[in-house]
Formats: sequence, C-alpha cells, structure tokens
Amino acid sequence: MSREVVTSGKQIGEDQVGLGIIAAMAALALAAVLARKQKYRRLAQSSGTVTAARRLNRAAGTLAFSVLFDSAIEHYRGSFHNKAMYTPLVVSSLALAVSAHGVNDERSEMHRLRDAIYVAAAVIGAIGTGFHIYNVAKGPGGINWQSVFYGAPLGAPAAIALSGLLGAAAERIRDSDPHRPRVFGLPAGRLAAAIASLGLLGTTGEASLLHFRGAFHNPFMFLPVTLPPVSAALLAETALGKQHRSRWFTRWWLRLTTAMGFVGVCFHAYGVHRNMGGWRNWRQNVLNGPPLPAPPSFAGLALAGLAALTLVEDRPDA
Amino acid sequence: MRDGEARENRRPSDDPMRRPRAIHGRAPDVFRLGAWVPMRQFGEDEEVDFAIVGTGAGGGTLACKLAEAGFSVVAFDAGPYWRPLEDFASDETAQSKLYWTDERIVDGENPLQLGSNNSGKSVGGSTVHFAMVSLRFRPEWFKSRTLLGYGADWPLDWREMWTYYEEVEQALKIAGPITYPWGPKRPRYPYRAHELNAAAKVLARGAEALGISWTETPLATISAPRGASPPCVYRGFCTLGCSTNAKQSVLITWLPRALHAGAEIRDLAMVGQIETNGADRVTGVHYHRDCEWHFQRAKNVVVAGYAIETPRLLLMSATSRFPDGLANSSGLVGKNLMVQGNQAVWGIMDDEIRSYKGPPSLAITEHWNYEDKGKDFHGGYAYMSQGPLPVLWARTLAGSRGLWGEALLNEMQRYNHSVGLKVVSEYMPQERNRVTLTDEKDQYGLPIPRVTYSWCDNDKRMNRHALAFMRRALEAAGAREIWDQEDDTCHLNGTARMGFDPRTSVVDGDCRSWDIPNLWICDGSVFPTVGGVNPSLTIQAIACRTADRIKALAARGDLEVRSKDRQLV
Repeated sequence: MSREVVTSGKQIGEDQVGLGIIAAMAALALAAVLARKQKYRRLAQSSGTVTAARRLNRAAGTLAFSVLFDSAIEHYRGSFHNKAMYTPLVVSSLALAVSAHGVNDERSEMHRLRDAIYVAAAVIGAIGTGFHIYNVAKGPGGINWQSVFYGAPLGAPAAIALSGLLGAAAERIRDSDPHRPRVFGLPAGRLAAAIASLGLLGTTGEASLLHFRGAFHNPFMFLPVTLPPVSAALLAETALGKQHRSRWFTRWWLRLTTAMGFVGVCFHAYGVHRNMGGWRNWRQNVLNGPPLPAPPSFAGLALAGLAALTLVEDRPDA
Repeated sequence: MRDGEARENRRPSDDPMRRPRAIHGRAPDVFRLGAWVPMRQFGEDEEVDFAIVGTGAGGGTLACKLAEAGFSVVAFDAGPYWRPLEDFASDETAQSKLYWTDERIVDGENPLQLGSNNSGKSVGGSTVHFAMVSLRFRPEWFKSRTLLGYGADWPLDWREMWTYYEEVEQALKIAGPITYPWGPKRPRYPYRAHELNAAAKVLARGAEALGISWTETPLATISAPRGASPPCVYRGFCTLGCSTNAKQSVLITWLPRALHAGAEIRDLAMVGQIETNGADRVTGVHYHRDCEWHFQRAKNVVVAGYAIETPRLLLMSATSRFPDGLANSSGLVGKNLMVQGNQAVWGIMDDEIRSYKGPPSLAITEHWNYEDKGKDFHGGYAYMSQGPLPVLWARTLAGSRGLWGEALLNEMQRYNHSVGLKVVSEYMPQERNRVTLTDEKDQYGLPIPRVTYSWCDNDKRMNRHALAFMRRALEAAGAREIWDQEDDTCHLNGTARMGFDPRTSVVDGDCRSWDIPNLWICDGSVFPTVGGVNPSLTIQAIACRTADRIKALAARGDLEVRSKDRQLV
C-alpha cells in the first residue's frame, strides 16, 4: 500500500479496489455456474417437492455450518465460561449432519429423527437468543451501543433457529402433496420465501451493527447491508405477490447474494490479515478479526430463497 | 533503498538516542521494520519559510499543515526518531526513555514531578506516550472570564474551534461514543468506541448509582483497521509507547503526512537560541545536533516546545534589544504555568478487575465539567477509569500510600483486584506559577529552567471536591478499602498565553507574537486557561487553526508585517 494511503485517512488503495473487482467477478462466475445447472434441475412434476426439500436441507445445512464454526470460535474466545455455551456446537453439528443426510435422501416422506433435530434446533435457537439478550442487558447502563456492540450477538442464536425452521419446513414439504405442497397448512413455497426473507433481514441487521462497529472502514463492508435487504424485499414479494412463471431478477439477485455470502469469507480473511501480526498471528487474529464463518449465513438464507422461488414458480398453488 | 544499508541500520548500533535517523534524505518509515521514507532536506543557508521548534501536538501538526499548504518547513526535535514497531519494549522501566528527564529545578509549595505525566522527548512529542484521551473543551471555557467568572477569555470562538476539533478527530480517527452526553452536538466520531474493560465498568456502575452521566472515552487509538495501523490489541502499554501503531500519535499521523508534503524533520536537534536582527525580526535558530551547534536560517520561527521548553527558549534568546527574552514585552513569558489535578481514589473489588488490560482510561464522566451547581470552586473536572501497570502501581503504593516491605508485597498481591478513578481537573492560572532560568547549565550548556508551582485555595477546594465525589462513586460501585492519592498532577499549559491585548498576553489568537511578527508560539503554552480535560486535542486544533490563519495572512501579504488594523481586533 502506498504511503499516501497510510496517512491520508483514505481507507482504500488500488490493491483493495483490484481485490474487490476480482471478488465481484468471482461472484458473477459463481452465480452463472449456479444458473447453468439450474436448467438441468428444473423440477419434474413428480419429484418436485423432494427436490425443493433437499434444497432446503442444503440451505439449513449451510446455515448450520456457519453457526457451528462461528459459535465454536466465539465461544472458545469466551472460554466457554458458561457450560451452556457448548449447546450451539452440539445443536448445529446435529443440524449439519441431518442436513447432509437430507440432501442425499430422495424419499418423499418425512424423516422422524431429522425432523426432531430440526425442531429442537429451532427451539434451542430461540432460547439462545434469550440468553444473549440477558447477556447484553446485564452490563452497566443496560442495553446501549456499547452492550450491543460487544455483548453476545443477538442474531447468532437466531441463525440456528432459522436453520431448524427451514429444515422442519423441508421435512414437511417432503410429506406434502406434490401438486399442492403445504407446511403448517400454508403454501410451502411462499412460507419458505417468507422465512428466508425475514432471516435475511435479521442477518442484515446483525451485519449492519457489526460493520457499523467497524466504522465501515472498508467500503466493501457496505455490500452485506445493501444486497441482502433487496433479496429480502424480492422474497417478500415472492411470498405475498401474484403468481409469476418467472422471477428472473429475483433469481439472479438471490444468486448474487449467495455468492456474496461465500466471497465474504475471503473479505473477512483479508480483515484478519489487517490485525496486528496478520495471519502469522492467526491464533489471536482469527478470534479478534472479522468472523470468518459468518458471511455464509447469507448464502444459506439466499439458497433457501432460491428453493422457495422454484417451488413458487413451478406450482401456482405453492 | 539499498539492501545493505537497510540491514546496517537495523543493527543495535542504530541507537536513535545517540545518532540522528532523519538524515541522508530519508526518515524512518514508522510503519515498516527497517524501512525508510524519502525526506526533503534543506541547506542551513537556505532561508526556509518556517523553522518549527518541537514536533509534538502543536509543532508536528503545524509542520504537516504548513508543508501541505506549500511552505518550506524544517521541524526540530530534541528527541529521537523512534520506530514504534522496533523500539517500544513491553518494559515500563526501559520505556521511560520517552520522557523529558533533563535536569530541571522544581520548587514552590507543591513542586511538580516532571517526566511521565507531563513531558516527552521524542519526535512526535509527548503524544508518543500520551493516554490518547481526546476531549473537546466545554464551549464556555473559551470565555471563562466573561461567562464563568474566573481565569481569562480566549481570543478564539468555540464554534470555530468546533470545526478544528472535527478536523483533528478525523485526522486521528478518534474512537468515541455514538452520542456524547455533554455539551453541544458534535459530529459522530470517525471510529466506534472500544469495548470497556472491567475498570471502566466500575466507573460506569458508580456513575449509574449516583445518577450522573458517563460514556466511553474518546480515544486516539483505533477500533478498526486504518491504513497500515492495525486496530488496538489492548496491550495496555499505552502510556509507554504503542508498539503496534494503533495509537494515533503525532509520530504516525501528522508527521508522515508532513514528510510526504516536503517538510524536513531534524531529530536529536536541540534548539538553544532564536536569532534576531536589528529590525526586531527573527532570522533563524541555533541548534545542537551531532555534537555541534548549527544555525538554520528561517523567515519565521514557531516555538512549540510545551510549557517549560517554550518559555525557556524565549528567555534564553534574550538580546540587548529584548533583555527580558523574546516576545516578552508583557512580562508574561514563563508566567501562568498551569498543570491539571491528577488525584485519584483507589480501592479493592471482590471480582478480578485486571485494570491494566486495554487503554487505561476507557470510561469517563465529564459531569463536573458541565455542572456548575453544587461547587465551592471555579473550574471543572473530569474523571476516568485507570489502568496502572505494575511498576507504576508499586511506585504509587510506595510513594503515595507509604507502603513498604511486606505491606507493599501484600498489597501488590491484590493488584488484579485494585481499581481506581483519576481526575483531570482545571487549576487556575497564577502568575506566581512560572518557569524561569537558573545559572546552572545542562548537557547542552544551556541554563537549566526552574519550575515553580503552588496550588491556590481554589485548586485545593477542587481537589477536595473531586476526591470526595470519586470516593462516593467508587463506593457505590462496590469497592472497599478506599484510599486517596492526593499528590499527582498532569499536563503543562500556559507560560505564553494568547489574548486580546499585547499588555496582558504573549501571542494573539493566531499564535503570533505581539512583539515580533515573524515569531509564533504553537503548543499548550498559549492556553489562557486549561479546562478540565486533557489538552492534546485542543493543542492540535489550535495548530490546525494557526496553519489556516498563516495561509490566509500569507495570501494577503501580511506574513512579513503585522498590519495595523489587526492589532485593533
């Protein structure tokens, strides 16, 4: 980096702009790859619900993966001072395992154990959110910027709850009438779209808070607070709007959001490098720096959105 | 850069306290091990626009701003040019090399302890080891005589200062709270506040219990990456030199900018005299470097040596035409020396505190700076959480509490449970508190300064108020075995005050000497009052303003001669 950049207060040098362009191209390439495969995966009428369910399993697994590694790192950093801090590791490991099982399961019926684990993840995620709210509120001054910046993150346990919710929905879609899939009595595709939409909004809130804490010192930190809300809005329209045969813009935007979720790991890896000692000091900086496993939670939710979108597009009544 | 050269300079023989580093057209690159940045150099016969004496909060900032405005600038500092990544050990004793500990004579009723809390001998000045606390003045303090009934008014408008504060806060990427509880609205701090350590939470709990506001202290150490500076790692050696460059000192902010803009910095260069001519103009400075005296010609001289060295240099530069020293027709050079109260209350908590983790002053209350009711004294004070490192803590227990032997050892065992609150309070300007010259000579052959300091009754009343209030706050937070540390002071200001009238001040609002139009003073010396906050942000804001004023004066041709109408302002 040039000396002017170091001292002028500007945060971005040519190298970073270059990195951003490469990242954007990688994201587009990934989106294009996903799009090409999509043609072959267009749902046959008979197995449509199974495919949709497997995609939701995949989304739930991506979220569980993100939660597993994020909670492992953050709770290790917190020295597991409360035994309950092991809970998300167990729950997200199980959710990840059953998601993998679900992705490879082509049967069109609910799997009892998978479903039980997903439902448990949803419930425990909700309880964990309560724990985190308590942690944030107990400091001096109650809930204020200091406590929400540095207390337990409110959105993190919610992510495992979302994983469970998406998984539970997947199990119920398998069980549904392929021509008229229903979950909890509601149209399955629209319900999944709504869950993904709300999840994206919540995750955006979390990213906004933490990127604000980092003073948006790098302009790329604005990406996860601008792309996902648009995805959320598009999915809300999918959930509530009229039936369309093709929502190409929504699909592309969700692919972009998915790619961003994965590319975000690279940005966070760069952020780790900018801490004292960089990657040579990884044992400290992986804990101090931006959380590496966090961005894929966007990908998980966007993948859920894509699964929901296909269901809605293919089945007027879903 | 030639490889062999770089390696040679990385050897231990590269002792920055003995051999200047900023030579041969290059200066240390403070961000990279063993690396250099190019530096423009001026000949001694070359009449530069500005010779600046001192490279701290005043001189370093001004050097940057003037160089960026296109003036030719040479900035002198008596201290070494440190490489923070290489020279700053995690060793309290070794790091005392950052303090100005040249010989001085202190007297008065309350002789000052000079060194760690009030001086620095480094390129970058005392900002290299300052506690990074970056606070704005309360607006009323700029008119404290008129509005609050004590001290003296400043020839500066607080609204104008508000814009310069913002400039400095941006330049240093101050990490501060989202909303500041006191005073008029201020723009958002560029970076977010740091996480509070346990000691700061004790302050917060005490303030909550007493029903007063508190907040995260705005600090000049970054909470997110910035250029080549990584975010703070909470090492806790903040007042001893930051070895990671998270601290936004003058050394790593304004000075790299100054070098880039074409300024020259001369390290280990002690200025001993300002030369004047028959026309009562300054013509340059005599300075000691590499074992001999040199002379640098300059169109303007800026003195920025802080409140002891600045008056000392002006007094040492006396001539037959200026028998009482330069800029001293008012007789005020060296007078009105102001320090700030730095008393503390300490106690023991049942929980572990480990107050040495992170920057020492993460939480603050300025309640008594902005509340005028319930006081039996003029002025105000802020108090902050504390994080003394072990040697300092042992010294405090021995010196201020009188513990020794087994008692001291036992108390040190409770170091992790100790917690304290420390004040920065506004002492009154008094002419009897002053810097004068003695007949004794220092290592440069220059007269050693005498620093005379005594509290007035107002200062003592404020000390009592602050100690009693902090004791209540610490008790309310759950501390026990509370004791008072009554003797500490910090910072140095005054001794060349700015004002409206040549008879009652040394410089005008532009930091320009009333007597000699091409002589300027730009550091904490110009403060007419000190306020109850750490002075560094205000010194830098004044330097930014002075640079803008110099640009404006130069643009209209008033730099050489003071126009008559300006004296009437």
